[in-house]
Amino acid sequence: MATNKQSSREGSIFWKYIVAVVVFAFCLLPLLFVLSASLNPGGTLTGSTDLFKNVSFSNYQTLFQKDFPKWMLQSFFIATVTSVGTVLMAAAAAYAFSRFRFKGRRGGLTSLLIIQMFPQMLAFIAIYLLLLTLQDVYPWLGLGSPIALICVYLGGALGANTFLMYGFFNTIPRELDEAARIDGATHAQIFWGVIMRLVTPILAVVGLLSFVSTYGDFILAKIVLQRPEDYTLAVGLYVWAADERNAPWSLFAAGAVVAAIPIILLFMYLQKYIVSGLTAGSVKG
Amino acid sequence: MRWSALGLVGAGLSLALVACGGTPSGTSSASGSGAAASSAAATEGGGASGSLTIWVDETRIEGFKKLGETFQTQTGVSLDVVQKPSQDIKTDFISQAPSGQGPDLIVGAHDWIGDLVTNGVISPVELGDATVGLTDTAKKAFTSGGQLMGVPYAVENIALVRNNKLATETPATFDELIAQGKQLTPEHPVVIQQGTDGDAFHLYPVQSSFGAPVFKTGENGEYTNELGMGGEPGTKFAAYVKKLADEKVISSSVGGDPAKQAFLDSKTAYIVTGPWWTPEFEKAGMDITVLPVPSAGGQPSAPFVGVQGIYLSSKTNNALTANQFLTFAAGADAQKALYESGGRMPALKSVADGITDETLQEFAKAGENGHPMPAIPAMASVWKFWGATELAIMEGNAADPAAAWNEMITNIQAAIKG
Amino acid sequence: MIDVSDLSAKPQLSHARDLSRPGFYVKLVLMGLVNAFGLYGIMTSAAQQQWWILGFLVASLIVADYVYFSKRAIPAKYLFPGVIFLIVFQVYVMGSTAFVAFTNYGDGHNDTKQVAITQISKTSDRRVENTATLPVSVIEKDGVLGFAVIRDGKAEIGTTADPLVAATDAKVSGQKVTEVPGWRVLNLAEVQQRQKEVLELRVSLSANPDDGWLRTDNATFAYVAKSALVYDQDADTFTDPEGKVYSADNSKGSFVASDGTELKPGWRVFTGLNNFTEVFKDSRLTMPFLKITAWTFAFAILSVVTTFIFGLALAVLFNDPRVKGRTFIRAIFLLPYAFPAFLSALVWRGMLVQDGGFINKVLLGNAHIGWLSEPTLAKIAILVVNLWLGFPYMFLVCTGALQAIPGELKEAGIMDGASAWKRFIHVTFPLLLVSVAPLLIASFAFNFNNFSLIYMLTGGGPNFQGTPVLIGETDLLISMVYSISFESGARQFGLASALSILIFVIVGFISWLGFRQTRKLEEVL
Repeated sequence: MATNKQSSREGSIFWKYIVAVVVFAFCLLPLLFVLSASLNPGGTLTGSTDLFKNVSFSNYQTLFQKDFPKWMLQSFFIATVTSVGTVLMAAAAAYAFSRFRFKGRRGGLTSLLIIQMFPQMLAFIAIYLLLLTLQDVYPWLGLGSPIALICVYLGGALGANTFLMYGFFNTIPRELDEAARIDGATHAQIFWGVIMRLVTPILAVVGLLSFVSTYGDFILAKIVLQRPEDYTLAVGLYVWAADERNAPWSLFAAGAVVAAIPIILLFMYLQKYIVSGLTAGSVKG
Repeated sequence: MRWSALGLVGAGLSLALVACGGTPSGTSSASGSGAAASSAAATEGGGASGSLTIWVDETRIEGFKKLGETFQTQTGVSLDVVQKPSQDIKTDFISQAPSGQGPDLIVGAHDWIGDLVTNGVISPVELGDATVGLTDTAKKAFTSGGQLMGVPYAVENIALVRNNKLATETPATFDELIAQGKQLTPEHPVVIQQGTDGDAFHLYPVQSSFGAPVFKTGENGEYTNELGMGGEPGTKFAAYVKKLADEKVISSSVGGDPAKQAFLDSKTAYIVTGPWWTPEFEKAGMDITVLPVPSAGGQPSAPFVGVQGIYLSSKTNNALTANQFLTFAAGADAQKALYESGGRMPALKSVADGITDETLQEFAKAGENGHPMPAIPAMASVWKFWGATELAIMEGNAADPAAAWNEMITNIQAAIKG
Repeated sequence: MIDVSDLSAKPQLSHARDLSRPGFYVKLVLMGLVNAFGLYGIMTSAAQQQWWILGFLVASLIVADYVYFSKRAIPAKYLFPGVIFLIVFQVYVMGSTAFVAFTNYGDGHNDTKQVAITQISKTSDRRVENTATLPVSVIEKDGVLGFAVIRDGKAEIGTTADPLVAATDAKVSGQKVTEVPGWRVLNLAEVQQRQKEVLELRVSLSANPDDGWLRTDNATFAYVAKSALVYDQDADTFTDPEGKVYSADNSKGSFVASDGTELKPGWRVFTGLNNFTEVFKDSRLTMPFLKITAWTFAFAILSVVTTFIFGLALAVLFNDPRVKGRTFIRAIFLLPYAFPAFLSALVWRGMLVQDGGFINKVLLGNAHIGWLSEPTLAKIAILVVNLWLGFPYMFLVCTGALQAIPGELKEAGIMDGASAWKRFIHVTFPLLLVSVAPLLIASFAFNFNNFSLIYMLTGGGPNFQGTPVLIGETDLLISMVYSISFESGARQFGLASALSILIFVIVGFISWLGFRQTRKLEEVL
């Protein structure tokens, strides 16, 4: 996108680094508290303004003596399957909406958007009862099963994600499909071979968004996974924080720090797909 | 089309799981079927088997796991201890019990009784002669409509904790206490935790000394639905709340954590708190004494007493085994074991008398004439209004403390009726 | 299993049906699995008599087979899986919530009438005060259960039909009857196996029913019990020993006496539109309600605008290959998103505390600003915290969407000599808006119902003075619903659900309007 021509036109970019530093301060300030608390055995999260008074890694050691590693694996499993499923389903739906004209297309798109807006305040009762019933038919799809939780998450796979993709799909020139169709490609081949290759950035974005929201959800997860050994990270951390009197804040903070690392690594890895997806050549088709 | 491949991989995977999953009843925690299935084997030996599911919070998980092992060796019935955050136990239990798939037993504070009874999710417990051994407070707290609604196992209350390094003599009235505290630690003469939602629980020892108990009590000692904190004693206390705020005893900025930190950092000589934090103070090497809260309004101060106990689900399929567990839990061995792992004052007299821990005994003494926390269903909203009004008074948002207090009484009464 | 290498293949007339293509076999295998899965479900649900599930499975299986084996319905092939999940886990959940709105479901009314009657009868069958407990053994003869107890040192037996009689020839060891001629004493496992019967067993003390009966809860001791309430099925009433009658009120869902006292628990009944109208009855709520509605809109719109502008600005600024270390810079920008939101809200709350909070004490040098207690400041604080929580999302989405802006357009802009800013406003921004506008609408809807942020940061406070429920300056409509239906008395799921539906109608309508606008936007370009 940006070419040498451009860079010669525009002046110094030093100010962008200054902007970055200012935004860093905004981003990191609250997180310093978390880090400080995580290094202070027996420390509190909000009781003190003296940052980094004590530094010890004992919380991190304790973390790995608890169920924490188990929760982490569970979170990885659930978030990975959910985000892959979400990407595929949302992309397929976006393809249908973007490339085909059928009855109820507009209505379908609008309803998708609006269904997601239903307040979920009472969903916990309905989901609990739904899984209890499903359990009778498909025992592995009941309460306590990570597969059931994944299914609940996939229920929300269409929705905002589909729109993000739909918008992106619309920017891919239709001439590309036409050309492929004339070459005899089926709709499936066009989808897998042409479209999916060109939309890598948005696939990566949706995948990441879905991964993060699944990874961080504790409301649905704690309805479905009721036993500590089945918890996801978010539920586990929530349970630690929920103890009003004796909340192990420092342990909790350490858990949050460790939990955030995979997200950051995943993002750094996905960045190359996000920012380098579309090249001028492919657009010309 | 081929695309459908991946979309359905989930389904494919799941099918594989069915193959290994076994019978439909395999994954559910329905202990009833487990009991039935294994009973054939057990009949020969005559011993019982099966399992009971119990929900406990993180502070008691260890104790109940141990208790479960003992119970299993004695009876053959295993205890499946499931940990849940304490505030979820009650709400989840109420919403899940009617499905018949909830736990057999739950552990929690006695002030849940109102909600649990209203929803019909617990059964009364008949302990037989074991009831006699329980302390009066514990029995009273767990009694509703003349029936014992659970098995109490621990009693706790708040009191005044003193840092002996800063002070060794404590005056008899709260005003004098503030005066003394001001000289020692001007920043916080005394600390009573409040926070941004207010905290009526921790202010109650002060309130009760004005002769303004939360509810009036009936002949049998059970609370009535009639508020006791209205009228002049109540408004006097409301004015005192303002004074406490002006004297920097309470503040919305000082919630639980900052309060604990201030005491740990010796920024105050006195804190009103419960036995849940004293181990931390002792661990930090502090020399502390636990005292009754001095009276502010002339009458003896009474803290709320919270009693912890085990409830029996009314929807359990294992009521008989569950009752056997409850009888066991009311016994001296179990109460002693729960004390040893949880550090709370036992509800059984014989065991409580044998406790040598000085701090705990001091707490118990300070709570001798305490009031059991009310257990009516509307209590949750009472707490909310109560805390919010005290907050408004101490923040100065309510210009006239007495008027705000009276308005609170009206609102609480409406909530109780409503 | 996905074959993408044959883009340049020769024209094909019959696509995935072509037997020479691997795709066909993949489809066949998958559909085989789906059918197996469906059939398994159909069989088990038939066995379990779950007719609704059965019907749903049959219908979806037929649709699935039609969609994937027919040449038509091509879009459906792409929509089917997502839609199935959507129907089961969202639409169904929505439907059942909506259903609750028309009932009195909540504390005290959470099950059927039959369950309520059972529970009331059960709790009223209670021990007679000051009676002794008796060591008990459970005995059986020809399938009939009975009790063998020791009363006043002597063994006695009885069943449901026969009141207690002395059993002189019974053998007693320790405190228990161990043998009764003609009867078999059940062991622990047998008692456990038949525990339901044992618990329901009542043995009358004598022929006079007023003497009460024996029952046991644990098969260790039995106690004398009497029923404090008697249910009369024909009259549908409970009567207590003093003759007070509680009759069933089927519109309210509870047994009520003439003086207004109610038995607990009650049961669930349909209440029609009551839940929808109830909240509008209290005039003291009108002003706060209007204020809260205004703030809810302001909050939702401002949250979207601030996060979007901030996120977009960062995305554009750092979508510049000349900036070194972009991978790192972007990762830091994403950090707020990587931490659990409830943790962040807690930390912010701690930092914003008036006395001794980090912001007042350290950043502003011992200032005394009521960030969470002064109405306007609390609103600003909420918006800032929400900006912190939300901008990484917008940043990420915009960074992704920027990649779709075709290079030629930019080139054209440069050729025209347009400034970078004009280029952005006239070319990049409108194109970007096409793809992110629906997300902005979704984000509006999300913030409109952003209960957890408010709940964790201010709890709605500072509170309004003089309202009958605890609501405050920073409450959103959804947190007001929470306050009214859960925190002001008993929890009322029916009410909460009805109010949620009203909110949903508002948000849905506005979003629908917004959505129509984006369609116009699309057509312009």
